[in-house]
Amino acid sequence: MIEVKDLKKEFKKTIKSPGLKGSIQSLFHKKTEIVKAVDGLTFNVGEGEILGFIGPNGAGKSTAIKMLTGILTPTSGTLNINGQIPYKNRKKYVKEIGVVFGQRTQLWWDLPLTETYSVLKEIYMIDDNKFKERMEFLNDVLELEDFIKSPVRTLSLGQRMRADIAASMLHSPKVLFLDEPTIGLDVVVKDNIRKAINQINKQDKTTIILTTHDLNDIEMLCERIVMIDKGKMVYDGSLSKMKDTYGKMREVDISLNDKGEADKFDLEAAFKFEEDDYDIELKGNKMILKFNSAKASIPDMLDYILKTAGVRDIAVKDADIEEIIRRIYRSEVNLDEQH
Amino acid sequence: MRFLRLYKTFVKQHLKNLMEYRVDFLTGAMSFMINQVTNILFISIIFGQIPELAGWSYYEIIFIYGFSLLPKGLDHFTSDNLWKVAYFIVRKGDFDKYLTRPINPLVHVIIENFQFDALGEFVTGVVLFTYSSIKLGIYFTPLKILLLIIAVVFGMFIFTSIKIACAAIAFWVKRSGSILQVLYMSSDFARYPATIYSKGVRFVISYVIPFAFTSYYPASYFLRGGNPLYCIGGTVVISGVFMLVSILIWNRGIIAYESAGS
Amino acid sequence: MNSIKKVKRMYGAFTNAGIQDFIAYRASFVGFFLGEILICFVMYFIWKAVYASAGNSTFMGFSMVDMMVYIFLTNIAGFLTGTDSTYSIAEEIKDGSIIMRLIKPVKVDLSFLFFELGNKVMIISCVFIPVILGLEIYRYVMLGYVAFNPIRLILFMFSISISYLLAFYLNLIFGYLAFFLLNLWGFNILKESIIKFFSGAIIPLAFFPEVVRNIFEYLPFASLTYTPVMIYMEKYNGSTLLLNLGLQLLWLSFFIWLSKLIWKWAERRLAVQGG
Repeated sequence: MIEVKDLKKEFKKTIKSPGLKGSIQSLFHKKTEIVKAVDGLTFNVGEGEILGFIGPNGAGKSTAIKMLTGILTPTSGTLNINGQIPYKNRKKYVKEIGVVFGQRTQLWWDLPLTETYSVLKEIYMIDDNKFKERMEFLNDVLELEDFIKSPVRTLSLGQRMRADIAASMLHSPKVLFLDEPTIGLDVVVKDNIRKAINQINKQDKTTIILTTHDLNDIEMLCERIVMIDKGKMVYDGSLSKMKDTYGKMREVDISLNDKGEADKFDLEAAFKFEEDDYDIELKGNKMILKFNSAKASIPDMLDYILKTAGVRDIAVKDADIEEIIRRIYRSEVNLDEQH
Repeated sequence: MRFLRLYKTFVKQHLKNLMEYRVDFLTGAMSFMINQVTNILFISIIFGQIPELAGWSYYEIIFIYGFSLLPKGLDHFTSDNLWKVAYFIVRKGDFDKYLTRPINPLVHVIIENFQFDALGEFVTGVVLFTYSSIKLGIYFTPLKILLLIIAVVFGMFIFTSIKIACAAIAFWVKRSGSILQVLYMSSDFARYPATIYSKGVRFVISYVIPFAFTSYYPASYFLRGGNPLYCIGGTVVISGVFMLVSILIWNRGIIAYESAGS
Repeated sequence: MNSIKKVKRMYGAFTNAGIQDFIAYRASFVGFFLGEILICFVMYFIWKAVYASAGNSTFMGFSMVDMMVYIFLTNIAGFLTGTDSTYSIAEEIKDGSIIMRLIKPVKVDLSFLFFELGNKVMIISCVFIPVILGLEIYRYVMLGYVAFNPIRLILFMFSISISYLLAFYLNLIFGYLAFFLLNLWGFNILKESIIKFFSGAIIPLAFFPEVVRNIFEYLPFASLTYTPVMIYMEKYNGSTLLLNLGLQLLWLSFFIWLSKLIWKWAERRLAVQGG
């Protein structure tokens, strides 16, 4: 379905030193450097798969997605999606893909949503029956009725995102690219959108590639993730495996009744922890405790905390992607599970 | 057919918006009209003192001036979105959208927007053109009307092709609005008879930035019976060549497009 | 002394930012500048044809050399007095960031003004000085003697400073119109062409019939570019010169007063509606 091999993209970037002096300097000679935004990606995606594409800001996710969608021409490497080369047969290729960029809309600002869809109908040359059927399906999944007559500029962020996803699905694409589809949305809306994405994937067998910063997106949608950092792949495999390996460290935030209570903890004795298995940070009477959940389960740990010290409040944090990435990076282990 | 249907949808929507923002449309159109009227006043005041300018009478000058507004106004009406490409769309990465649609990005950019303000220019042009034609006693045979339409439409293509080429430069440098600005402003040379300029300037406005072919040359065919093969055929040939070259530049630009962000 | 230091500290940053902004956007400035220069050349050729057709060496009191100095100087004056305050303020009114100016301990007009001052410093050094030099060389070649008068240059700088402030406040007032108008862009073109016409940028006011000219010369538009240019060209002398400088100052104080009035009203409106 999707084959990516040794994909690279380089940009020329001008460097400007800050301040007035920098501006004046830049007048006379410009310094440029070559930035390798994507530096040798190789992976495959099968039909009907949902792939989570993750990495910290500036890792090269967007650049990679833009090459996959035919927006950018790669510096080198090969791309084959649906038997086509995106940047070469662009017009033919994009008929079979749908793209949503969470940060910007592709709808027409002043047009009512229905008009936007009828324009897209013409652009994608969808015939009348198919269009009707499709609208019904998308209406069902994304609940567009409430605002389908309103101009796009009046929609809320959540409505706009649903409208955008519908716009990208109108022509029944085989591959759907979602770049941060839940960015800036509240929890309930995020949940609705995830459900819709799942439904679309199930019904149409659409292959979906999704970038996100939200671990819950990944957890609810993706079987498999590809993680990149500094343009290079650092992980390719299942989510559960990654969490097993790197998500073991859990964080508990505790508000103590008194600062002195912290001294009562002796984790090495209670759980046979070694030095690497835990980390305690104290800020006033706030305590941040990180520990290896393979050696002590969360209920056991909570039990121990409540028994040991006077506690006002307690919160268990999920291991977030940024944290896992940081850890993967620190461990300096190449986890490339490429077959 | 498909483009016509698309075009119709966009025009319909823009007309609806126009009704909503009537005052804005009127100020826009009025502004362009008044801008031209001040220039006409300038010409009139000069002709209060002299009987003719470099051998051209007052009404002949008005005829050329009015003629120059026709292709300019039409181009302004149809392809105003190219300014946005030059100034923001490429720089902000909003060009992505056009590249993910199965339709030529250039066509997409152009049919998406209309500048109704341009009617101010176009209507002023029509009025000046008609008024001076009557005063000069120019008789329009069907053939002449056909040639007029050809000259205006291909003159418009000269404007559009220069805009396409300038906007395409943004694909490499991110922002090419200023280049477009300079070239567009140089079309002011075309408002007056090319004979008032020095040889060098005349060469430039005829063959390098060929705005003279959008007004002076075709107008001189109607005014003085210049060779139509050169005056109007020239417009057609030059606009064809320019369109071809600028589309090539545009297509090369799309390959160089870097989007925005990381 | 102390208060000068304070102003320098508070607003110096704006000036600095203005200079950097100019450098960052120099490409668009150069584009705009070249466009204007092109139009000057269109005018040059038209006037050349006019003088040739008229057969006189002077045309309504202007020689061809006068005319050239007039065209280029008017254009440069346009650059020196040009201001983006209309757009800057309209932008902020539209996106609501204007309220941010209310919560900072700086005056709205002064912060815009000092920002533009940085811009003007760059325009004077990069554009004004070379163009004046070019014009004086042209005059020397055409006339055979040095026509440059340093006192006139100083008077011009004084007069154009008033013009700039006047243009600034006039544009600020137009910017406030964004509270009511959506298509400020179209409206601005209208404003620009009206100002251009009435300030004599297209035709010297001296070319208009006596009655019209008298009215035009007293309108605030003449104070914008016509007065400083006439001073430089030694067309205004003695009492006429003083009268016109006085008129400039009068219009300036009127527009400052008016802008404050409108701003106060806007402030109240913002306080009520929250932007």
